[in-house]
Amino acid sequence: MENIEIIDLWKSYDKKLEENLTLNRQLSLEITKMKAATLIKSMKPIKIFTLFTGILWVGVGIMIVANLFMHAYSEISHFFLYSAAFQLLITAIALVIYIYQLVLIQQVDISESVISAQLRLSSLRSSTLWAARILLLQLPLWTTFYLSVHLLQNGNTALLVINAILTLVLTFAALWLFVNIKYENREKKWFKMIFQGKEWDPVIKSMELYRDIEEYKN
Amino acid sequence: MDQEEIFLSVLEKHKGILYKVSNSYCKNSEDRKDLVQEMVYQLWRSFDNYNEQYKYSTWIYRVAINVAISYYRKENSRKVVSSPFSKSLLNFSDTPSVEEEIPGLKQLELFIFELKELDKALILLYLDEKSYREMADIMGITETNVATKISRIKNSLKQKFSKTKY
Repeated sequence: MENIEIIDLWKSYDKKLEENLTLNRQLSLEITKMKAATLIKSMKPIKIFTLFTGILWVGVGIMIVANLFMHAYSEISHFFLYSAAFQLLITAIALVIYIYQLVLIQQVDISESVISAQLRLSSLRSSTLWAARILLLQLPLWTTFYLSVHLLQNGNTALLVINAILTLVLTFAALWLFVNIKYENREKKWFKMIFQGKEWDPVIKSMELYRDIEEYKN
Repeated sequence: MDQEEIFLSVLEKHKGILYKVSNSYCKNSEDRKDLVQEMVYQLWRSFDNYNEQYKYSTWIYRVAINVAISYYRKENSRKVVSSPFSKSLLNFSDTPSVEEEIPGLKQLELFIFELKELDKALILLYLDEKSYREMADIMGITETNVATKISRIKNSLKQKFSKTKY
């Protein structure tokens, strides 16, 4: 089929639409009366639950840890105190990045040119991976919070050595994941294992689109 | 005429754009209904900021394509509008369907559907005989770039058609 035939085909389609397509004016009018859904209302319940649990965890955690720092610093294990403080700090940073990104997505002007709006949206959605990378940095802290000077001096040496190895392995894993969680590795088995499922599909697709747009501009 | 009336008359005049864009990006009829509602909602939201420097069709294409590309990437249950309606905004009164009446249309729609999102947008504009200037304005790329890409997509469509009976 030649170009001219394809265009003629499309024109007949247009003509048919012109003759037979009707707009439900009443429904359109009702849409103009609708109020914008808040950021919270536009989110899936599981995401709202996760977000609120995260905020609660960080909020309550900061209150407890700050209290311990101020009133029981000399009595409480510093391993616990610093592990908890770093864990809360990392979770708080990830939460702030995630919420900031959600707010920015809502503010994107959808009447901008396609490349400009989609570049902004896909880059923001892709940045969800940043929250995941940062969250994974807390891995080794889960092997240190229960330690104490007393345990180090009197504990079972074999168990302490195993714990130290575990801390080192998790530190390495956290740093390695922080560096390697990126679009270029999306086809790797480990990447797919971590980021599989419906929740991550939009993020991965956004990363693909981001690449497509970058190519498209040239 | 108040804002709503002006908006509705613009929508009425360009409803075909919404139909064609939604049809090219979304195959499921239920999802398509939601997609059109979201397009209309986003158009209304940006209506106050409509830039008169551009034609209404340019603005509608921009919003419709942006919503269509973003739409499928969201989680299924996430809607921007707070209470989407069950009725359809656009109704096609003709039976049998337009695809059955126009030979080759179904095939063309399928080939368009198979294109990447940005190519899909560009070919829709080309088929609607938009000027290179307007296509460049809608897409946000240069006219030269539009010409190069259109030529590539046209060739790909021609090749696909050559493998069918059309």
